[in-house]
Amino acid sequence: MKIQPFLLEDTLEVNCYVVTCEETHATWLIDCGAFDPRIPAYLEANHLALSAIFITHGHWDHVTGLPDALAYAGDIPVYASAPEHEGVKTTQIKAGETLRLGNHEGVIRHTPGHTPDGVSLIFPGHAFTGDALFCGSVGGTKTPETYDQQLTAIRTELFPLPGHTRVYSGHGPVTTIAIEKQFNPFFT
Amino acid sequence: MSEWTRERIEAEARTGALEGADLSGIDLSGADLSHAKLDGVRLDNTDLTRAILDFASLKHASLKGAQCELIVLGGADVSEADFTNADLRRANLVGTKGHGTIFDHADLYYSRPGSADFTNASFKSANVQRAIFRKAILREADFSSAEGQANFENADTEGMVR
Repeated sequence: MKIQPFLLEDTLEVNCYVVTCEETHATWLIDCGAFDPRIPAYLEANHLALSAIFITHGHWDHVTGLPDALAYAGDIPVYASAPEHEGVKTTQIKAGETLRLGNHEGVIRHTPGHTPDGVSLIFPGHAFTGDALFCGSVGGTKTPETYDQQLTAIRTELFPLPGHTRVYSGHGPVTTIAIEKQFNPFFT
Repeated sequence: MSEWTRERIEAEARTGALEGADLSGIDLSGADLSHAKLDGVRLDNTDLTRAILDFASLKHASLKGAQCELIVLGGADVSEADFTNADLRRANLVGTKGHGTIFDHADLYYSRPGSADFTNASFKSANVQRAIFRKAILREADFSSAEGQANFENADTEGMVR
């Protein structure tokens, strides 16, 4: 699995990721805060075509580029836990379901707290966590209840993953489950 | 000319064969050096952008002027290493141990040194704008002439110089 990150500095420093199965060349876009010109340039330089988009949660900095991405990629599924984003009808997914990216099977985990619809997509060795778990932090929450919900979701849905699992967050650098379990200040 | 290539470095990084080697100037951007044993290695002006060095050992390593934006050094030991003039923007430094590490004139913009242990480290004239030192140990660390607003929430700043 090849993961190409794009840091969108002008959109709250949000990350989006182009993820490719190296055997089949199936390629997805994870989150779409903006359809930055670097993304189609990367796809074209590597002779790749998007076959799906996955949305971790519905905040504007993760979905605003969705119409532009679909205008470029055509009629491809948009996987999300909410039924619609930016006027685009999604293919709704829920916790426990699996999705295939070429030869790789990903599992949906519900990781609410930052938003009620927050989901993470877990492939063996790679976790796309949106704004649930960050490098050295967690996503912002609005109430003590949603804060507790967030920490519980991370503890039960993400921390049991193998320590070497790389965490690709909505903001900030890559991290690993081992680093966050051992050192994340919100859990130590 | 160094006999080390990127492929050989990635293959042998965990064996200890690289300790003390001069790897300066090699393109290691995005390299997988997780748990690498790199004590005393020389990486001056090396491109380590987005390289993964979680839980690596880089004690006494020299990374002067290295390009380390978005590098992953979480859980690594960089004690007594020298990052003078290094670009550490947005670096993952969560839980990094850096006793006596030198970050003078380094750019740590929006880096994440949460729960790091930088006892006696030097950040003279470094840029720490938006750096998040939450729960970090910064005893006797020297931030004289450092620039920018960092987050020191719940950090241990006993004896820290600002």
